[in-house]
Amino acid sequence: MSPVVAGTEPFHLWNIATAMAVAAPCALVGTLLVARRLSLLGDAIAHAVLPGIVIAVLAGGRPGGWLTMIGAVAAAIVTASIATAVASNSVGVGEDAATGVGFTTMFALGVILVSVAASRVDLDTACVLYGELELSAFDTVPVAGLEIPRGFITGCLLFAGVGLALCLTWKEQVLAAFDPAAARALGLPVAGLSVALLVGTALTTVAGFDAVGGVLVVTMLVAPAAAAELLVARLHHVAAVAVAIGMAAGAIGYLAAWRLDTGAAGMIAVVLGAVYAVAALVAPDHGLLARALGAVALRWRVAREDYLAAAWRAAEGGTATVPRGWAAWPVARWLAAEGAVEWTATGWRLTPTGRARAETIVRSHRLWEAWLGRNVDLPLDHLHPPAEWVEHHIGSAVRAILAAEVGDSVADPHGRSIPPEVPPPAGRAR
Amino acid sequence: MIAALVPYNTLIVAAAVAAVGLAAGMVGALAVLRRRALAGDAAAHGSLAGVATAFLATGRRDLGWLLVGGLVTALATLAALVAIRRWTRTRDDAAMALVLGVSFGAGVALVTGITARGLPDSAGLEQFLLGHTAGVTAGDAALLASCALGAAALVALGLKELTLVAFDEAFAAAAGWPVGLVDLGLVGLIAVMVVVGLPAAGAVLVTALLVIPPVAARQWTDRVGTMVLLAGLLGTLSALVGVVGSALVPRLPTGPVVVLAAAALAAVSAVAAPGRGWWSRRAAARRALVAWHEGDLLASLARGDGPPAGADDALRRALADGLVARGAGGFALTATGTARAADLARRREAWARILATAPDDARAFLTVDLPDPAAVIDGARLAEIRAAAERRR
Repeated sequence: MSPVVAGTEPFHLWNIATAMAVAAPCALVGTLLVARRLSLLGDAIAHAVLPGIVIAVLAGGRPGGWLTMIGAVAAAIVTASIATAVASNSVGVGEDAATGVGFTTMFALGVILVSVAASRVDLDTACVLYGELELSAFDTVPVAGLEIPRGFITGCLLFAGVGLALCLTWKEQVLAAFDPAAARALGLPVAGLSVALLVGTALTTVAGFDAVGGVLVVTMLVAPAAAAELLVARLHHVAAVAVAIGMAAGAIGYLAAWRLDTGAAGMIAVVLGAVYAVAALVAPDHGLLARALGAVALRWRVAREDYLAAAWRAAEGGTATVPRGWAAWPVARWLAAEGAVEWTATGWRLTPTGRARAETIVRSHRLWEAWLGRNVDLPLDHLHPPAEWVEHHIGSAVRAILAAEVGDSVADPHGRSIPPEVPPPAGRAR
Repeated sequence: MIAALVPYNTLIVAAAVAAVGLAAGMVGALAVLRRRALAGDAAAHGSLAGVATAFLATGRRDLGWLLVGGLVTALATLAALVAIRRWTRTRDDAAMALVLGVSFGAGVALVTGITARGLPDSAGLEQFLLGHTAGVTAGDAALLASCALGAAALVALGLKELTLVAFDEAFAAAAGWPVGLVDLGLVGLIAVMVVVGLPAAGAVLVTALLVIPPVAARQWTDRVGTMVLLAGLLGTLSALVGVVGSALVPRLPTGPVVVLAAAALAAVSAVAAPGRGWWSRRAAARRALVAWHEGDLLASLARGDGPPAGADDALRRALADGLVARGAGGFALTATGTARAADLARRREAWARILATAPDDARAFLTVDLPDPAAVIDGARLAEIRAAAERRR
């Protein structure tokens, strides 16, 4: 067994289960927040629910219980209404500043309530800032003879509730997220969906609040979905991947915090940040690595094709020469390995395969020059640079169209002949 | 007399925090106008990790080094934000929430780890989360005050450039101003003020010190210089209330009190400020309604009808202003009233025509006090225009 799991006691496992159970509904709600570009509303709500929670606890509610959820939803709605009122009633500042005023004020109010009433309630500023995931296993209710942590039950119920609500309104949510104008035109209750999202955010925030504290909830909401969006495209895939990322980060973050002897709340956020960073690096198509590799591969192909074309032009006669020097050497060696050039007493020379490939490039180049010369009013010396780039991106279909356009002319605008189309070699598509 | 009641150290700290409030308000005013309010929030959350790292590196609670550490990670957080926007598909709002949460998470993990190990002095670190000025020494206070006053001086020196870039970036760039450099300077000032504000307001709430006083100041004025100054004053006031309030109530962090004080000032401003405030707008709306009723009243009396229903307040005012007199057969226009009724009728006619023919340009006419055309256009030309207008109908 790994040293991480070796000393694990049951309460650690329950804490991990609670972290995962809380992370799942947060990731689901976060998927919609991110898709609808409301991440900062999530942040604002996560801060703003604090006074609602504290007042509910002062009124006899239990942190994470139904009374605090009502308090949180009420506080979220009050904040959202104030924000809407401020936004519609020009106050001469941007929306960002108006939001900044709203949620910091609500959070400050909550902290003051906690500080003043700390002696009377089961809540302190540390709990507000870090949550108390480490203690969640000790707050249990008996279910079918088992002592189950309340946080775990709350998380599971929320996940079921949010999941069910999403399944029932999925089509509408997708439309409202990606084309709100069309959704409105179709008569969908976009405002109602927004309110539902607001309520869902407030409810999951309460669960997350208990686990990781008021400031870090936003990470559990937004980070899984932001990472998932980089990895997959369709919204239901994003939701599934986000839930998986959130749950994994909950477990890994807890274990890492336990190993490093620090708080789980911060470590879960750090793990989520690491997951996002990895996703940004390795995401297919749009990831930084994929794009860098794609750029390198393209440059390498262009370098080889330019070498072949230059060698072909050198053999054609005129001023062109076979490239030499340290930069050309690896290109030539690579092409030799492909069987496109061979080493002779006089230097590198094209093989028949290489000649065929070179003729394709040169044909693309000169067809493009011929087409430009005919259809675009460019001076002769302006034709070469665009063709030098485009030659690498023209396939046989486009060459056929260009050849038909420029007619039977066998010479490019510089008077050099256009080599004929080379039939593709059997079994090898370029 | 005050010095006898309040310890010397508290006075020094209060003075330093007042300076921080002043500079934060001034920097914040430009940040709010340039729509950089959230950058301050990200920098604030990111600074915590640097404070904790600096504590680990130096092994003691030396405010200067802690703030240097905080500044480094605050700037790193902003750089991460720029990198995400530049190189990934993640949209701005998610990037902001992500960077803010993760950088704060790193800070929380460091702080809880340090606290769990019970290192000497480590209890002081938690004060950087919500702010606590009780632990600030006279030396720290001098450091905070000099940083803050330096930032305030930079704002005053660069006010012209910062204003230009905030209001018309394209023009500034076209006129050859170094927009990127000015923006970088502003972001640097924001990061510095966030870090300097940490002891007063804490990482979670220090952004409010930069945002709320400017929002309050904005209600009172349309001039940038006035707004910057006023924001600085309101920031000073909030900071002082915070220091005093948290000193009076045991275990109360400074940050939330500062924020609530600033929010109260903003609320008062939003209600009471002339011009932009709620009360002023309401009064203006009422005045407009009375003026409209007065127009109805005068038009109705000019036609020979009685006063229309619902125009009692307008009637009372018209009587007091001598536009209407109570005659034997009811109410009648005086000579001034007749002239005013004719003038009003002409204006209503002009506006009806503007709204009918060029509704999109109506806004441009709002600033024009339409005079009697006969007074500014010669008779022949006026007749020509009237005929043309008739034909267009």
